[in-house]
Amino acid sequence: MAPTPTLTLLWRDGSEEAVRASGESTVLEAAESAAIGLPFGCRTGACGTCAGRSVEGTVQYNRPPRALKTRHSEAGYLLCCIARPLTDCQIEVGADVRAEMVSNPWK
Amino acid sequence: MATDHQHHDHEMDGPGYTTPQAAIEESTPEQVAYVIGLYTGSDVDAPDFIAVVDLDPDSDTYQEIVHRVEMPNRGDELHHFGWNACSSSCHVEGLARQHLVIPGNRSGRIHVVDTADRRNPELLTVIEPEEVHEYDLSGPHTVHCIPDGKILISMTGNADGDLPGGFLELNDEFEIERRWDAPGEIEFNYDFWYQPRHDVMISSEWAAPRTYQPGFDMEDVEAGEYGHRLHFWNWTDRTVEQTVELGEEGLVPLETRFLHSPESVHGYVNAALSSNIFHFWEEDDEYQVEKVIDFESGEHADWDMPVPALPVDILVSMDDRYLFGSNWLQGEVWMYDISDPKTLRKADSISIGGYFGDIREVQGRELVAGPQMLQLSLDGERLYWTTSLYSTWDDQFFPEERERGSVMLKADVNPRKGTMTLDEEFLVDFGELPAGPARAHEIRWPDGDCTSDVWL
Repeated sequence: MAPTPTLTLLWRDGSEEAVRASGESTVLEAAESAAIGLPFGCRTGACGTCAGRSVEGTVQYNRPPRALKTRHSEAGYLLCCIARPLTDCQIEVGADVRAEMVSNPWK
Repeated sequence: MATDHQHHDHEMDGPGYTTPQAAIEESTPEQVAYVIGLYTGSDVDAPDFIAVVDLDPDSDTYQEIVHRVEMPNRGDELHHFGWNACSSSCHVEGLARQHLVIPGNRSGRIHVVDTADRRNPELLTVIEPEEVHEYDLSGPHTVHCIPDGKILISMTGNADGDLPGGFLELNDEFEIERRWDAPGEIEFNYDFWYQPRHDVMISSEWAAPRTYQPGFDMEDVEAGEYGHRLHFWNWTDRTVEQTVELGEEGLVPLETRFLHSPESVHGYVNAALSSNIFHFWEEDDEYQVEKVIDFESGEHADWDMPVPALPVDILVSMDDRYLFGSNWLQGEVWMYDISDPKTLRKADSISIGGYFGDIREVQGRELVAGPQMLQLSLDGERLYWTTSLYSTWDDQFFPEERERGSVMLKADVNPRKGTMTLDEEFLVDFGELPAGPARAHEIRWPDGDCTSDVWL
């Protein structure tokens, strides 16, 4: 039987939501099934719109997270559209988190 | 193949202009604009939309968003869009310039909106991303109608969001007809324009979706992940005949604009990252390119390096007299006299928004970004623009755009005098929408516009 880890979503404004990540669902799908709208774009791991940041827990990808560079992954960033929680997870989400991932390189 | 271009009267009042000059003479001032509005990349839990903006000065709802066509899904990042037929050249019997073809640049989903009722357009059909991916393509960008009711869309990447990009062709039933090009004919793709009388198409280069979509990273520039070439295609054979290397002066060549005259072999492209404008033209059966405008960077106290101009959009007036452009970072809208296409002469500019613009607000609304997508009235007397480039890039360079939303602004142009004046009475604020502040990008007119119509 597939595990059903608890996924705690953390926004920059301090709000939190806990959802069940049942079966093979991704972070994005788990949020959607609980009627929580997270930012997303391509849903294939290419565009980075859905980027969140892991605080705790382990996720797995079924295809490469092409929108992430090594330095992003090392800093804990993950792609909610293709990341599948393997354990209980706490993940920072929302447009502010994504914006921090790629900042103005000239400023 | 040339088709007979007679003036058509359609059941709907979509005109067919036989020449660019006819478009100037016979068109009436724009009554509505269709403007891309988007929530993708923000925390607003709503789909992207097409805004119908009332541009009739005699209307009670002038300058208001009077209708919105919401897309059926979230996360598209609607960006550029086009028509099923040019008002000008693509008429076949029974075809009218009535349907907007609107791709989601992130999702890959392609939407078709019927504008038969101009103030209340309706979503007609959708091509899902999975259908597009079957052709090993993603990242749809520019839409042009091509002869026989078909539609061509440039695609920036393959199904994985990597290289190579290519072109997707739709038939007149809005179904995918085929992949237009042979895979690998080009690597990078972005914008394109064709000049059928000379059997030529030009295409430009942005980057792979996986490169530009997450945001702008100098590492990618240094690794050669951004484009710097122009491709000149044999239109009939669908093959690249000539590739021109622009080098360091020509990084990220974006909008490709042939002059409107079907006889012309001249055009312009903006190398955004190098802040240069190039002129291209055919001479002795070969295309030449030459830098004709070089925008200087400017020092800014908050920046580690000088702020580049970043010319992100250009357009050619319908009379082929002026080239207009927008410098998004520095904050300038400009017009150059191109009556001698090789020797540009600056006519006028407006310093507004961005990092250096003199004008910082319109009607008390603070401008939190620079001028971006442009559209010019067919008579050349009214220039409109919006302020969002791309959600992730906005967040890097103008982060307040997400919190405040975009604006649509207007300048009055005097083409006889070569002058532009900001219309201080005009403001459409996309920050005031019920779901939350939205970004705004490309603008189109129902009766033809300066950035889509091609003459056979």
